[in-house]
Amino acid sequence: MRAYGYFIKMRVLTALAYRFEVWIGMVGDIIMLAASVYIWKAAYGNGVVGSGGFDVGLQNMITYTVISVLLASVFQTGVQNTIYTQVREGNIALDFMRPLPLLGIYLSDDIGSMVSALVNKAIPLIVAAVLLFGFPLPAGAGAFAGFLVSSLFSFVILWLMSAMVGMVAFWVAELGNLGMVKDAVVRVLSGSLVPLWFFPDAVQNVSEWLPFQYTYQTPIGIYIGVTTAGDAVRAICIQGIWVIILGLLLAWIWKHARSKVMVQGG
Amino acid sequence: MNEVRHYVTVFGYYAKLAIQRQLEYPLFLVSWLLMIPTQYFTGIWMLKIIVDRFQPLSGWGFHDLAFLYGLGLLSHGLVVVFFIPTWGTEFAVLRGEFDRLLLRPMNVFFQFVTGYFNFIGLIDLIPGVVIFIYAANLVGFDWGIGNLLKLALVVIGGTLIRASLYTIIGAVAFWTKRSRNLIFMAVATMERTTMYPLTLYPQAIQAVLTFLLPIGFISFYPAEQFLDKSTSLELPLGLAIWTPVVGLIFFALAYAVFRFGLQKYESAGS
Repeated sequence: MRAYGYFIKMRVLTALAYRFEVWIGMVGDIIMLAASVYIWKAAYGNGVVGSGGFDVGLQNMITYTVISVLLASVFQTGVQNTIYTQVREGNIALDFMRPLPLLGIYLSDDIGSMVSALVNKAIPLIVAAVLLFGFPLPAGAGAFAGFLVSSLFSFVILWLMSAMVGMVAFWVAELGNLGMVKDAVVRVLSGSLVPLWFFPDAVQNVSEWLPFQYTYQTPIGIYIGVTTAGDAVRAICIQGIWVIILGLLLAWIWKHARSKVMVQGG
Repeated sequence: MNEVRHYVTVFGYYAKLAIQRQLEYPLFLVSWLLMIPTQYFTGIWMLKIIVDRFQPLSGWGFHDLAFLYGLGLLSHGLVVVFFIPTWGTEFAVLRGEFDRLLLRPMNVFFQFVTGYFNFIGLIDLIPGVVIFIYAANLVGFDWGIGNLLKLALVVIGGTLIRASLYTIIGAVAFWTKRSRNLIFMAVATMERTTMYPLTLYPQAIQAVLTFLLPIGFISFYPAEQFLDKSTSLELPLGLAIWTPVVGLIFFALAYAVFRFGLQKYESAGS
């Protein structure tokens, strides 16, 4: 455990060393946040517009957007690129020689990045959002607690998917970084940009059976109170099921991937 | 004249080399080929969902939005093909790559930009062309010679404006050694300001994006004119004139900044 702690600490320190970079990235986040909020403002117009049976007001949508950007800045799943690059460059062989389970090391790395992201990105983002759009309040104390639990599951689901896609590199490194493709799909189907309840019904029905919407939409829906307490418990249970499914799948792929190591170059 | 011909020959040669280099591993393009179209087609789909559920965005219905989105994507694609090295100015500075370019009897900026003809960038043009043609037909775009000429001038001008902005931002690395994250920020911001109506944003931001940074000229004002909307910027001549002119002026400025930055270049340590 102490060894993993060390990995986390080193990652935090590295991230803090590049503070200028982080600030620039944050300004980018704020610009994107503002751009999305203006789109919602235009969509809602001045009057209240009904939206497909849902009663989500403009203020709720702004909160939704703020929390979504916040989660995106905190969730760090570098594991995807790490595995891809290490396999491509052959360094994975050296990684395997480390006296600790490799996935544990990669997870510690990402947790370290998240700790520094909380300080470096989340706090300034919250301050900026409060100044620009008012405080993004949760629907209540219960909603906030549910949000925290659900976010934790969200991160685990995202991390497992990223690790899995990263491992594709063991078989087909020459296809390039498929993680980018996965990210593009997740951005849409997770509801991180536009909540799925605005999507056509057919898409919503399919999406319920996919893991994506349980990464962003579930915790944020709980936060703004669109998801009621009973539904929230149910949603968190589904998240748990996805964690188990994806976890088992990852373990299975990992077992096979290890035998596929091919070291390039000499 | 001879010199121009020399430059053109060198460009052709560089481009050929770059294409061969990138086609060496053709499968490597697969992930880009999947990712870029996914990104832009879903982007336009999001707009459709929002407009369908709510209302036109500040007077822009889905057809108009798609037209603007496609028009913006065209010049974006061209910049990615022809000017991608500007995004990597930081690496060129850190690795001392300008040493090599400075020693050759040719314009350094020309060598730097043409040194990597980004064949893969054509992938960005695929969704651009598809969305533009689709939307152009939806809005009843007149495909006559005159209009096509205007379109060409706007796209070329828009490409120049984008290239200038990236050149200037990339050149920050000559002073700070870092500009990659600034570039990423600019790329993301450009998407939201050239592929979505500027009128979504407050007046102050619109003013900045018109007079301080001429981003509005890339696609928003031209799109307004192509779509016969009441223009939010009153100008005596058409945007088909203004966009390329602004592009050329901004490009000259960017070139000056690059030259100025190059004087600060101090090669790489060991």
